[in-house]
Amino acid sequence: MNKSLVALLATGLIAAGQAPAPKPAAPPPPRQSQAGGEATLRTIPDLPKYQNLRFAPLKAIPIPTPESFTLPNGMKVFLLENHELPVISGFALVRTGNLFDPPDKRGLADLTGSVLRSGGTKSKSGDEIDEALENMAASIESGIGENRGSVSFTCLKENAGEVMTIFRDFLSSAEFRQEKVDLATTQARSAIARRNDDPGSIASREFSSILYGRETPYGWTIEYEHIDRIGRQDMVNFYRRYFFPANIMLAVYGDFHSAEMRSQIEKLFAAWDYKQDPVPAYPEFKAKAAPGVYIADRTDVTQTFFEIGHVGGLLRDKDYPALQVAANILGGGFTSRLVRKVRTELGYAYNIGAGWGAGYFSPGLFEMSGSTKSKSTIETLRTIREELEKLRAGEVTAEELKTAKDTVLNSFVFNFDTPAKTLNRLVSYEYYGYPPDFIFQYQKAVERVTRADVMRVAREHLRPENLTIVAVGNAKEFGKPLSELGLPVHPLDLTIPEPKPASGSRGIQQQ
Amino acid sequence: MHFIVVERHDAPVVSFHSYVNAGSVDDPSGETGIAHMFEHMAFKGTEAIGSTNYPAERAALEQVEKVYDRLQQAQRLAADHNGKAMKEQIQALEAELEKAVEKANSFVVPNEYDRIVEANGGVGMNASTGEDSTNYFYSFPSNRIELWFLLESQRFLAPVFREFYKERDVVREERRMRVESSPQGMLLEALLSTAFAAHPYKNMPGGWASDIENFRLSEAVKFYKTYYVPGNITIGIAGDVDPVQAKRLAAKYFGMIPPGPIPPLVRTVEPPQQGEKRVQVIAQTQPYMAVAYKRPDQHSPDDPALDVLAEVLAGGRTGLLYTELVRDKQLALGAFAESTFPGGKYPGLFLFYLIPNRGKTLDENEKACYQIIERLKTKKVEQEVIDRIKTKLRAQLIRKLDSNTGLAAELTSYHVAFGDWRKLFTELEEYNKVTADDVMRVARKYLVAEGRTVAYTSAPAASKDEKQASEGQ
Repeated sequence: MNKSLVALLATGLIAAGQAPAPKPAAPPPPRQSQAGGEATLRTIPDLPKYQNLRFAPLKAIPIPTPESFTLPNGMKVFLLENHELPVISGFALVRTGNLFDPPDKRGLADLTGSVLRSGGTKSKSGDEIDEALENMAASIESGIGENRGSVSFTCLKENAGEVMTIFRDFLSSAEFRQEKVDLATTQARSAIARRNDDPGSIASREFSSILYGRETPYGWTIEYEHIDRIGRQDMVNFYRRYFFPANIMLAVYGDFHSAEMRSQIEKLFAAWDYKQDPVPAYPEFKAKAAPGVYIADRTDVTQTFFEIGHVGGLLRDKDYPALQVAANILGGGFTSRLVRKVRTELGYAYNIGAGWGAGYFSPGLFEMSGSTKSKSTIETLRTIREELEKLRAGEVTAEELKTAKDTVLNSFVFNFDTPAKTLNRLVSYEYYGYPPDFIFQYQKAVERVTRADVMRVAREHLRPENLTIVAVGNAKEFGKPLSELGLPVHPLDLTIPEPKPASGSRGIQQQ
Repeated sequence: MHFIVVERHDAPVVSFHSYVNAGSVDDPSGETGIAHMFEHMAFKGTEAIGSTNYPAERAALEQVEKVYDRLQQAQRLAADHNGKAMKEQIQALEAELEKAVEKANSFVVPNEYDRIVEANGGVGMNASTGEDSTNYFYSFPSNRIELWFLLESQRFLAPVFREFYKERDVVREERRMRVESSPQGMLLEALLSTAFAAHPYKNMPGGWASDIENFRLSEAVKFYKTYYVPGNITIGIAGDVDPVQAKRLAAKYFGMIPPGPIPPLVRTVEPPQQGEKRVQVIAQTQPYMAVAYKRPDQHSPDDPALDVLAEVLAGGRTGLLYTELVRDKQLALGAFAESTFPGGKYPGLFLFYLIPNRGKTLDENEKACYQIIERLKTKKVEQEVIDRIKTKLRAQLIRKLDSNTGLAAELTSYHVAFGDWRKLFTELEEYNKVTADDVMRVARKYLVAEGRTVAYTSAPAASKDEKQASEGQ
């Protein structure tokens, strides 16, 4: 096996067009430079100017078109060939998510997604599969997030048959062995115990909980009591409800010939005709503003971590492209207003920025975030709010607009620099019901954005009166009270509730 | 200056990686973090970028330094004489300094260098300063290749240290974020400063707070002049690039940089450790532990066996730390090992990192970790495991070839560390020669208590109780 791998590696190298580096040319004699003192540098006359460079139009971007077809059992399949490296990868998208967690068993989807893999399949334990896969330098992983589940694999071409069979078994007959259920719930409890370990992560977690609502599956927190109620049968039931062929999209890409891969996949899934009712709609999200300052007091930090913002929108919103441009100007890159003001001019932050969050299916969050030393907390928060007001007060400059649009448009090619990116995006569009040319619609919309558009969407969608401010820091070192921000101040209690005494029922027992 | 060019024409994009063979180990004493500070200055523009009037700006920057020199003199005298008499003079100089800085800033086009890169479609622009090296990297659409040559050569040829003292505050904030407000950051800092008595690996790359707060521009200039010479910089370019064109542009732009002597290596050699060291970090967190053993540098003949040993311990879902501590004994939420930490250029550490499960102690985890280590010293690892690791290392290499950014980074770092980018590939042959006996031998040789340093966190309340308990005895 090792030998053939060396050969494969060599093939990969040739395909990559490996060109040995030429020995560096003897440099032309250096220019005479003025002598400078220790503190100063020489001045170089006649430096070439970037303004004088002219760029040829970019070569056409080769955008591959995946082959797609639907199996008799209802599973939709996408195939994309790419022969650069001797590797085959793929993923299955499953319409499920932790939005379907029962309120008293929060964390069920996440645990199911984890034990799906570790618990093995009907024929092999997870531990046996771990060794088998690693002997082939392959991997299979699984997980369930907010509104999608996935099982993915990657392997060398020569092992694709074996690896894809195991992959199929995880989709159709995961076993959820009890020992791995116990392992996953133990780990989930440890994760709860450790959720306040890193002060930097507390702010974003609390920000998201407050804005999405602590009583909704979008914003609630998983506690020990919820984990204590989850048993093996809950996971098995969750899995059986959502993992059925008509509820799955399969994407495979890499070093294969589509016709062969198609017949391989048809054979692989021919016997799997398991059916379930269509998955219902996800619970709807209802935005609710929660203006105010929320402070988690930590006496052990020298910096305050903060998040400021409110609920954002969807990718398909008509104003999304203009909002992206607006948010870029406000806090998108190193050139943005927040970086210029808070970092470059004031020196108050290393980390500072803003983004307009937009989801495919449910709203993202508009957030301005960063961290600053305790003493400059109030001034930094105030400055950020002022910058938001300024963005709404008048039009951005023509230069700012151009930079923001150029940033999106000139880097557009990087959306297509690997076939995997193209495939991922197309499958996501299909999954969330977006048109396949959505990214080109976005590109055209960005091209059309005007200064007036930026001001209009900033006024309409960025709402200073609705700002939720979450700060994690050492309040007594702020120098000034948070109330100076002129908003109601709410302390955040980060205490982790202890598990309730065992009531005897630990999840549904084996049926 | 050496260039490594890899053609990959699948998409019209290209990635660049500049590897400067100088890092925080080269920071002079009292100036820890200065390599990192220069890295920040490398984004501040050049004589031709970022100024409305460079000659006037240059004069203003020189004035800032003159006033700062006088201020430092006054502060120094005041410290000596414990003098209140100098207070007024110092205040006046501080006001003058502020004015001088304002004047210099009035010529600045803020963040112009970044703006040019971003507006031209540059992505992934950043830099990092480590113990051994400083790295600058980003990608452009391939019709902008010449722009990269211009921008990158000028920041190494004609950087302007503008907004230095404001950026010093930013760098100070970075330390607050990465170290002071992060229990795990504090733990690693304690580990390094305890494990090394003399070698500069004892300092985190960001430097110590008081050094950062007192950086002077001249110190960053001196570092730049010493270490940013062409022979100390290697550049990787991967993607839609024509090597002939690249060579022509390299000569045109980087050829302007005058050659200089290759800077010296660090002369301080870490003396042998005479026994285990332990350090406690009191922090508001659930417990963490880092266990580190002294190991030789990356040129040691034992280096490949140590890499394989780390894979035996912590590779994927079959590494011993995962299967025993995490999976079977359920002592740990996570348990990791790394063969080369914090760098490989000089003798360093073989690192273990333990994160106990809720209700499990550091003590239990530490003991279980040592049990694994002791077993590796007495019982040979099965051949199947060794074979699996070799297969994995090969496959990992194949995957590294899958991205322009990865290729540019790996090839430059291998070229610098081993004098030849081919080592990225020939290293596999060295791994192939590693036997189960070798793994046992290096475990016996290096994973020994005398060369061990253990750093761990304790919650504030518990450590207070402990103290009271020990005082009561």
